[in-house]
Amino acid sequence: MEKEYKSKYYSHVVKIVLIFIVVGVLAVVGRNYLLPDTMGQYGHYRGSDLEDQRNVEVRSHTNESCFECHRPIRLIHKAGVHKTVSCEFCHGPYADHVKDGKYVAKLPVKKGMEIKELCLRCHNKIIRARPEESIKVVAMPQHLEEMKVQVDHNCNQCHMVHDPLLWIKAANEMMGMEMKGDKKN
Amino acid sequence: MIDIEKEIQKDRRAFIKNVLSGTIAGSLLMVIPAGAALDGAIPEQIPGVRGDHSPFLKNQFVFIVDVTACIGCGSCCVADKNEYNVPDGNYRTWVERYVIDDHDEVFVDCPNGGLDGYTKPRTDIPYPVRDTFFVPKLCNMCQKPSCVQVCPVGATYRTEDGFILVDKKRCVGCGYCIQACPYSARYLNPVTKTADKCTWCYHRVREGLLPTCVNVCPVHARKFGDLNDKNSEVYKLLREPHVISVLKPGMGNQPALHYLGLRREVV
Repeated sequence: MEKEYKSKYYSHVVKIVLIFIVVGVLAVVGRNYLLPDTMGQYGHYRGSDLEDQRNVEVRSHTNESCFECHRPIRLIHKAGVHKTVSCEFCHGPYADHVKDGKYVAKLPVKKGMEIKELCLRCHNKIIRARPEESIKVVAMPQHLEEMKVQVDHNCNQCHMVHDPLLWIKAANEMMGMEMKGDKKN
Repeated sequence: MIDIEKEIQKDRRAFIKNVLSGTIAGSLLMVIPAGAALDGAIPEQIPGVRGDHSPFLKNQFVFIVDVTACIGCGSCCVADKNEYNVPDGNYRTWVERYVIDDHDEVFVDCPNGGLDGYTKPRTDIPYPVRDTFFVPKLCNMCQKPSCVQVCPVGATYRTEDGFILVDKKRCVGCGYCIQACPYSARYLNPVTKTADKCTWCYHRVREGLLPTCVNVCPVHARKFGDLNDKNSEVYKLLREPHVISVLKPGMGNQPALHYLGLRREVV
């Protein structure tokens, strides 16, 4: 009489099934509620984030943007060997200066020994890693001694910072001298 | 005689035509850049991208860093900080200095991520220095990114045009991706409390502009371009014989960032 051992009551099974169904429905509803709408639009990420990423502000512009207003410096800067140097490297980002086509604030202009620091950031011979074809490097007190000027001279006393050889070329022309580099070429 | 007269007439016509077209073309050349200047937009640097509003671009972008050209000025780092207001002590891109002494020992340093430039030589090297060079680093934009794989909430993802981006609204700041990145390109942004990293200036590229570090590099050590454009510099560099390599190829991430003249000492 084995059959009699089997329970005739199924309420516990019904309870468990009901709990599973309720949990499942809650999970689906909750997931839909919690997940962003565009999740999974293109892949396992929020599709609308692409739009957010595109709307990041462009803060740095190109030199051309600066030259639109700063015309005189444009002629000097673009003619010299420093034409590849970014305006914003020394003066700060465009967005801090102009916003929505309107002037907001003045950008810093380096003065005094700040200029020397800035020059030596690239032109310091003591950092030996600089390829000669890319940049001309100088050893600092020695360069001043070689050029027979006082050792406390600042770089911009001989070199126009936007076109470093501008004044030197002009002076040499006046004196009828040739540039050191010209002889090699 | 009549023939000669005709010839002269023809010549005159041709002359007047030439002068007129020359003047018109010349004046147009002067007008067009001035017109562009008025609306304040930056001239397009990547052709055919601006105005494309489809979710993904058709271009296949690659980034090439020329180690032999880099002078370690840190323009790129400054530009990057300016563009994104990166919090102090975090770097989206940085420039490492490698110094090798004549016993072949390698010394690497990176004071403040190269943001202040390199002004002092290293003094702690026991033997004479054989060689030194700079290696700029940034996000490698892997084709098989480990950071995307580990993200538990789908906050970091790879777009179909090859950019790996971080969704700041979705990121919970767990830091798995920071540990997973073999190139240490990621950091936890202390302001937003989310993972952050170099995006190859996605917002600029979508506007047809070069990434800001590429734009400012004075020696053109950083190159960015489209592999689908057969006339681009990057296409020529990658498809023609050059010494080109990627960082940690053994990791199998297949970076889209390539290095020109990379040395075996670089990790």
